[in-house]
Amino acid sequence: MTISRKGAIEKLEAEAGDVNRLYEKPVGQWRLAMRRFRGRRSGMAGLFIVLALVGMALFAPLIAPYEPNEILIGKEDVTRRDPPCIHVLGCPEDTPQHIMGLDGNVRDVFSRIVYGARVSLTLGIFTVTLALLVGSTIGAISGYAGGWFDNILMRVMDVILGFPSLLLAIAIVAVLGPGLRNALLAIAIVTLPGYARVMRAQVLAIKESDYVSASRALGSSTRQILLRRVIPNALTPLVVLGTLGVATAILEAAGLSFLGLGAQPPTAEWGSMLARERNQVFTSPHLVFFPGLAIMLTVLGFNLMGDGLRDALDPTLNR
Amino acid sequence: MKRLRWLALVGVLALVAAACGDTTGDDGTTTTAGDTTETAAAPAETTTTVDAGTPFEGLVLDSGGCERDLGYTDDDGEPVLYGGKVDTLTALDELTVEFVLCKSDPAFLAEIAFSVFGIQPAEHLEATGGAPIDNPIGTGPYSLNAWNRGDSIVLDANQDYWGQVPAHDTLVIKWATESASRLLELQAGTADGITFPGVADLPVIEADESLELIDKPEPNIFYIGMTVTHPPFDNEMVRQAVAIGIDRQRIVDTFYPEGSETADFFTPCTLTNACEGEKWYDFDVDAAQALLAEAGFADGFDTVIRYRQVDRGYLPTPADVAADIQAQLKDNLNITATIEEVESSQFIDESNAGLYDGLHLLGWTGDYPHVTNFMDGHLGKTVTQFGEPFDDIAGPLDEAASIADTAEAAPFYEQANNGLRQHVPLIPISHSGAFFAAQAGIDGAHATPWGHVQLNLWDNGEDTLVFFQNAEPGSLYCADETDGESLRVCGQVVEALYGYTTSGEVVPGLATECAPNDDLTVWTCSLRAGVTFHDGSAFDANDVIVSYTAGLDASSPLHTGVTGSWVYYDYIFGGLINPPEPAE
Repeated sequence: MTISRKGAIEKLEAEAGDVNRLYEKPVGQWRLAMRRFRGRRSGMAGLFIVLALVGMALFAPLIAPYEPNEILIGKEDVTRRDPPCIHVLGCPEDTPQHIMGLDGNVRDVFSRIVYGARVSLTLGIFTVTLALLVGSTIGAISGYAGGWFDNILMRVMDVILGFPSLLLAIAIVAVLGPGLRNALLAIAIVTLPGYARVMRAQVLAIKESDYVSASRALGSSTRQILLRRVIPNALTPLVVLGTLGVATAILEAAGLSFLGLGAQPPTAEWGSMLARERNQVFTSPHLVFFPGLAIMLTVLGFNLMGDGLRDALDPTLNR
Repeated sequence: MKRLRWLALVGVLALVAAACGDTTGDDGTTTTAGDTTETAAAPAETTTTVDAGTPFEGLVLDSGGCERDLGYTDDDGEPVLYGGKVDTLTALDELTVEFVLCKSDPAFLAEIAFSVFGIQPAEHLEATGGAPIDNPIGTGPYSLNAWNRGDSIVLDANQDYWGQVPAHDTLVIKWATESASRLLELQAGTADGITFPGVADLPVIEADESLELIDKPEPNIFYIGMTVTHPPFDNEMVRQAVAIGIDRQRIVDTFYPEGSETADFFTPCTLTNACEGEKWYDFDVDAAQALLAEAGFADGFDTVIRYRQVDRGYLPTPADVAADIQAQLKDNLNITATIEEVESSQFIDESNAGLYDGLHLLGWTGDYPHVTNFMDGHLGKTVTQFGEPFDDIAGPLDEAASIADTAEAAPFYEQANNGLRQHVPLIPISHSGAFFAAQAGIDGAHATPWGHVQLNLWDNGEDTLVFFQNAEPGSLYCADETDGESLRVCGQVVEALYGYTTSGEVVPGLATECAPNDDLTVWTCSLRAGVTFHDGSAFDANDVIVSYTAGLDASSPLHTGVTGSWVYYDYIFGGLINPPEPAE
């Protein structure tokens, strides 16, 4: 078979390209994951919501027109539980604008919602960080050590898992006393077995892998193997779990605050805002709608982002 | 012979004297009333028999004398004397009871009309060891059928009731803490009546033709309490600063319904002698800050505001008011307060015991139409809610309580009100308007200014009447209860010697009349004949004696109760008989 000169040149160029590709720097796992994440619309929507919330929390003083606890009695011509007033939507210009209305203590609801993002995000992130650190440490040690030590630790985790999480959190806060810090601690305690079990499962699989055996054969200490070989390779599912966990933590914190065990007055926290005005669901629905919406959007954002991350980080979904 | 006849006459007289003068205790001991008054530390005999020769053995509750030495000393080493109102309480015959008081009591009828002093069968009290906590037996329009804990109380109409028999067969009392829930039940038609709708819901009810808003013209007071034994509230200037530094008008204007007013005095001025003396302080931030600085707290301090999440006429939105007070303390006085919601019964018990180290939000709805019900119940000599009572408040109140002439009593109430203003163990905030709500068209639907709602007068035309109140009762033995939720239910079952009409007048109940002597120290009550308890036993004078003994005599084996605090017996009768020596 004869080929033209042009065809020969194109073939040679194509072969050279394939060879050059061999010398290209390989794309990292995380970069690949991010590429995949960007391709998922729901995940990107979640990320957008979360970033918006983070922005709202960071720039709360610039966004909120009032201090979250500022009582407007005597400062403006308003009454408690005034409905939303938005000038561009026809609210009279001489009426003070409060786009989400006023609460039972004559405070601007929008400002409290904005500042509430700080509380919820801080609580969610700190709770998950704490639970992740403690849980994964327990899981890693337990899985690597095995034997009776593993048995004891896992049975303790099983006991914690055996209780309904919110009920256990309520019990812990009841003992420690109400307040945000104790709520954070309680939620961290009830969620850490999840992280411990996932980490342990990962460690059990990874510790039998060839590169860990090789590392062991080369004389690495247990600590080195755990920190350099096992834990870094076990993090992927924990990242996903953690992201989804933030949503759960925020929801549970809102639940505790609703029950009066979390954030204490006058802290602007969405769960406690909802609880305080729950009696006004028919007379002033805006007072339960907006905090509820804020909780819903936050949880939705973290869940969508978590799902997107899970899809992006799951190697079985490689195309 | 003549001499023998004289001897025989002397002998007969001696026997008669012995029969009338000696009293025999339950434990078999025999004492003479005169002996007990002279024996310093001997406990008073509380139940004895008289008229041993007649078929009816009337019981006696005997304090042992109005000035009886209780056998221990006060902090100054002085012997403590019994200072209560009741000297003796005697069943003269089956249907006559005599109250002998240590001093005049012009409010006696109004006091004994209170449902706390409901009468239960002597046998039942004995069988329950003085604690019929969940199984009261009374003579009222309803008998208890079932208390389904956490859900409802079912009462059956008493067809043998001496008064107006309920038109329905069954009364179901349920509860919902949330005012919105109660309103929903009403709107859904699953409740015939509810207590205390939320302030925001009042226009909704008024606008709904199927519902009726019922004005409850109750004299009440909402106050901020401070127990003066806990620092920094042990400093009078701190208390005064808080009193002056809180804008009470703002609280009333913002959180209370129309018809409410800022309290110039602790007791509503509709009651005679309530408003003698100086009015309460005006709001003045600068003066408050100066006082606080003078007290050594220029930079403020940390404290706690405690409240219970139970809607009351005097405090319709507790959480909102607590948050506003918290904000005012911070803004006006730089006092940082945390807010703590406490379970209702626990809150009442702990605040009554003076355990709270910060501020507590509480109030009072009048039980009977007399100034003593407000003042003596909070500031009298036996009340420790705010720490040790103040002599210049409790003293005049004690004096005034026994003066029938209101003009004569006025200076004492003036002293007490001025003492309250000076020492500030509490800050009166508001006298509030209050409401019930019901389905439109219920005959006899009402809310009373005094006493409990009389649900036997409500006729919804059906077999069952359903009434929603704010919370579940703590217990149904109301002799040792202060909570309105308990009293409302007890009032349907158990009756006192007197009662109230729906408009608040004092009227005979289990007594047809209690007639006083000239100086109002002896009240002879004729009891209603033919009345039977729900267990079928007949009501008689001994049931009255035993019911009162259980509450009044601290040494009685029946003095068990619910918590053992017996708040109303203690303060209305000026102290218990045979009180235990206070713990160190």
